[in-house]
Amino acid sequence: MSAGLTARGVVRGFGGIRAVDGVDLAVPPGRITALVGPNGVGKSTLFDCLAGATRPDAGRVLLAGRDITALPDHARARLGLARTFQQVAVFPGLTVEQNVRVGAEQRRGGTARALLGLPAPGRAAARAATDRALRLLDLDPVRDWPADRLPPGTLRLLELARALAAAPRVLLLDEPGAGLDLAQTARLAAVLRALTAEGMALLLVEHDVELVARLADTVYVMAAGRMVARGPAREVLADRRVAAAWGEP
Amino acid sequence: MPGTLDLSIDLALAGLAVGSAAALSGVGLVVTHRVTGVLNLAQGAQATATAYLLRELVVVRNWPLAPAAAFCLLVAAPALGVLLDLAVFRPLRRRDAGQAESMVAGIGVFVLLIGVIVLVWGTTPFGDAPALVPATVLARPGGHALRLDTLVQLAVVLGLAGGVGLVERYTAFGIRLRAVVDNRRLARLAGIDADRISAAGWAFGSFTAGLVGVLLAPLLLLDPYGLPLLVMATMAVAVAARLRSLPVAVATGLGLGIAQSELTRLRPGGQLLPLAQAVQTNLFVVALLVAALLPWGHGQDGPGLATSGGRPGRRGSSAARTACAVLLLLPLGFRPEDLRHALLVPALALVLLSVVVVTGYGGQVSLGQAGYAGLGALGTALLMSGKVPGVPALSAVPALLLAVAATVPLGLLTGWPAVRRRGLALALVTFAVGTALSRLVFDQPYATTGLTVSRLGLPADDQGFYLVELVLLGAGLLLVRSLHRGPPGRALTAMRDHQAGASAAGVDVPRLKLLVFMAGAGLAALGGALTALAQQGFDATAFDPVQGLLWFATVVVAGADSAAGAVLAAALLTGLDAGTLPGVSAVVVGALATAIGRLPGGLAGLARRLADRPAPGLTPLGHRLRRRIAERSR
Amino acid sequence: MAVAVELRGVRVRYGLLEALHGVDLACPAGRVTVLLGRNGSGRTTVLRALAGDVPVSAGQVLREGRDVTALDAHRRAAAGSAYVPAERGVFGSLTVAQNLALSGDAPVDRWFPELARLLHRRADTLSGGEQQMVAVGRALAARPRLLLLDEPGRGLAPAVAARLHGALFELAAAGRTVVLAEQAPLPSLQRAAVVHVLRRGRVAFSGEPSELGPAGGAGGADRTGLSL
Repeated sequence: MSAGLTARGVVRGFGGIRAVDGVDLAVPPGRITALVGPNGVGKSTLFDCLAGATRPDAGRVLLAGRDITALPDHARARLGLARTFQQVAVFPGLTVEQNVRVGAEQRRGGTARALLGLPAPGRAAARAATDRALRLLDLDPVRDWPADRLPPGTLRLLELARALAAAPRVLLLDEPGAGLDLAQTARLAAVLRALTAEGMALLLVEHDVELVARLADTVYVMAAGRMVARGPAREVLADRRVAAAWGEP
Repeated sequence: MPGTLDLSIDLALAGLAVGSAAALSGVGLVVTHRVTGVLNLAQGAQATATAYLLRELVVVRNWPLAPAAAFCLLVAAPALGVLLDLAVFRPLRRRDAGQAESMVAGIGVFVLLIGVIVLVWGTTPFGDAPALVPATVLARPGGHALRLDTLVQLAVVLGLAGGVGLVERYTAFGIRLRAVVDNRRLARLAGIDADRISAAGWAFGSFTAGLVGVLLAPLLLLDPYGLPLLVMATMAVAVAARLRSLPVAVATGLGLGIAQSELTRLRPGGQLLPLAQAVQTNLFVVALLVAALLPWGHGQDGPGLATSGGRPGRRGSSAARTACAVLLLLPLGFRPEDLRHALLVPALALVLLSVVVVTGYGGQVSLGQAGYAGLGALGTALLMSGKVPGVPALSAVPALLLAVAATVPLGLLTGWPAVRRRGLALALVTFAVGTALSRLVFDQPYATTGLTVSRLGLPADDQGFYLVELVLLGAGLLLVRSLHRGPPGRALTAMRDHQAGASAAGVDVPRLKLLVFMAGAGLAALGGALTALAQQGFDATAFDPVQGLLWFATVVVAGADSAAGAVLAAALLTGLDAGTLPGVSAVVVGALATAIGRLPGGLAGLARRLADRPAPGLTPLGHRLRRRIAERSR
Repeated sequence: MAVAVELRGVRVRYGLLEALHGVDLACPAGRVTVLLGRNGSGRTTVLRALAGDVPVSAGQVLREGRDVTALDAHRRAAAGSAYVPAERGVFGSLTVAQNLALSGDAPVDRWFPELARLLHRRADTLSGGEQQMVAVGRALAARPRLLLLDEPGRGLAPAVAARLHGALFELAAAGRTVVLAEQAPLPSLQRAAVVHVLRRGRVAFSGEPSELGPAGGAGGADRTGLSL
């Protein structure tokens, strides 16, 4: 059984239209896989099926060989599958550190123990994971800031830090480059490469061809709910048909 | 059997009176919602205010009926609608405020108008609201009395619904209106003044609300609670029409009116009779519950109520805590009659804390907490009176604890719907649950007669009882605190701020929602039980859904995520009620709630921002100087 | 060249994210200006800021030298601008005739004779290309002095798109100002007066189309990160 995340024959329809129509996808560890294609071809739906925000009508999703198709998103997160959102998801009511901490401390039994006034299980580990993620993304100096006072570009990094604090095996990133300027994009690229080097499996849904070309090892191209091409990034991106399918008609 | 058929026809004709008013209410709500995107939660209060105004003009000031009605319906009511749009809803629209804020503003308007009514006309019901159209019998086809008022009302409903349809189809204004309904953003880009069209929508909605009030008032007593609640229950009609379809709204309104009338024939024997009667008289409440529980498009997503005024453990909160402690200990030195009023403070504080937990921490709008408070009170009363089969009459403490424990799982009544619903849909479900509890459970003979509540097993004197209340409030505050700190606090805040994000971070959102609603139900029940013990009796009106709306608005105004704010608000609300005219507290709370858009985090948020204001630091000039010095030293 | 409309240091935020990080650009009066950039580069946001469709968090929007930053979208439209979004630019529940009549009474059959036979159809029953014609036609019916279009050729047959682009230059020749956003430099837009290339929420290039390279070709486009 392969490690990482695998989708097999995933189908998901909305109101009679098959937004995702029998898709296979592999996100192996230690590599960056990119999923590209124009708007409205089912990328986001497939992404939601992988992350657990929605369930596929047919097909299976496997995490390190284990069938997680029926699990809701929070259960998948606890098994080591983290995601970020296209519209950045941070919690403005918490500080930077608390945002990251939320990602680190979701284990069973924590709530009940805390209500009884007992320390949560793995509290020290959660704190250490939080510190590590903050340092990795250079957020340590602003750890006590309210999250909503961070500059916009930094919010993406904060969301990423929260995802990393859970020490995921697989990380799904939905347009991580959106809203970032050139310097922030470069920083993001460096962080993602470092994570892959440590053996994490990364899936990138991204509009920015440049970022994909710079980062991805494998590229999948989606059109009308199906995979129309897959292969090493350089070959796939050089393909004229892919270029034609990419831009909106 | 011709007799049965005749009776059916007579009942159907009788039901058209309420039915056409409900249909009108639905037409007004649907039109306003289509044009403005807001479900007018204040409609019941607008209707009541117009009915009061008409009675004032006709009965007290002796105006002739026709000019008085024309003034009320064609001038006063539309003017109120335009005023609401200009003062409350347009600023919210400008800021792209979410549904939650519009809802709070709508509830604020409701509470404000009810407060004004109570302030001006008092709470004594009037039985002499003037009828617009005399009930002259026009003809008796087949022996059935065909009355003028029925015919006029029916004609008005059909005429208005049809007229709206014609205007939308054939006039330039109607086409611009449809453009706004279709795509507000694009309409503005096409040069259409969408604000003016919204104002027209509010004027029309307010006119229909007034008409509903004027039509319903003669059918029942005119009082500040019953009529608004009935009109709110007719929201069922608009919800059944999915806030879109006028024909469905008209048909549902008329159908429910007729059904309610026909149900009077259903007379099951024995113990079921009171329940059947309750369902019959409150058919619209039941319909609202059903309509809101059916899946529908509104409020399934969108952000929860943004209540964040700050983060835990900040400056400013210690000042609030000290103020709370002082305010709570002060009554121990009061004269006996003042202390009696103060007994309600810890009880109310617990009920308000339940709103803090559910809405402030969890971000789930709950308008039904008064229902849980009532369950706690009623449970305590029943247990102490030995009315629960198989349980002997208990003394106060075990009765209270058992009642609270029994109410906690009932939190699932609103907790389950909340797993899949948000925003408006959830608000309507929780309101309907609270109203159903009030009308179908509390307003029953077994609950209104033969119950004894005493402080048996507790200190009998007020001072001792007050101390017990403080201890229980302290326990409640400890629970609330544990929900606001550490991992559960962070998980709750995450869920409130970004549900999908919290879920993706591993937070078990459905479980957390159930937990919040159960904790809220328990706190409210404890507060309700203490209210009953303080008053030494069970009073169903203390847990009226309209009270629930006032409490919700109070907490949002005080700062929904501030426990200290809730305790202070309880003291303030009780003090205002005891020390000033009735209605003042509602006016204050309502006025602040309508302005909640300008007051993020409520009063507690304001206090925190004042306390958190950065210490006087460098001016821009100072910064420039510092930079220059730094450059020079390099 | 007189400036018809201009952004100065404009920042736009969508929720927590910033889409424009301080954009300065100007569009000459009576000429065609083209905004180029990939998805997410901010070209649509620039148009929306010009039309008043999105609040500007910093900077100024100037129309013929007048500050219109705080002016409502419908007032800007009434003052002679029209904006055609890339998607959903028609009122689906209205007929084609009602859509056109909403904005003005200028005849549009010169540009889109195809619409004549569709006048009484509901707009949401039309094909994507037909809807696009209605959207552009609605803007033209208002006789705007400033015309803002987001990928107006999207979904149109190539011949119709070329005809539309021709019409835009005709309008410019008649003194109207045209600003349009496109993903890639199209040959039929070579005659544009000014091209602004956006990249990650900033202006990466401003100049004449010829400076982008031959026929909007590879050299210049590469420099500004436009190639695939």
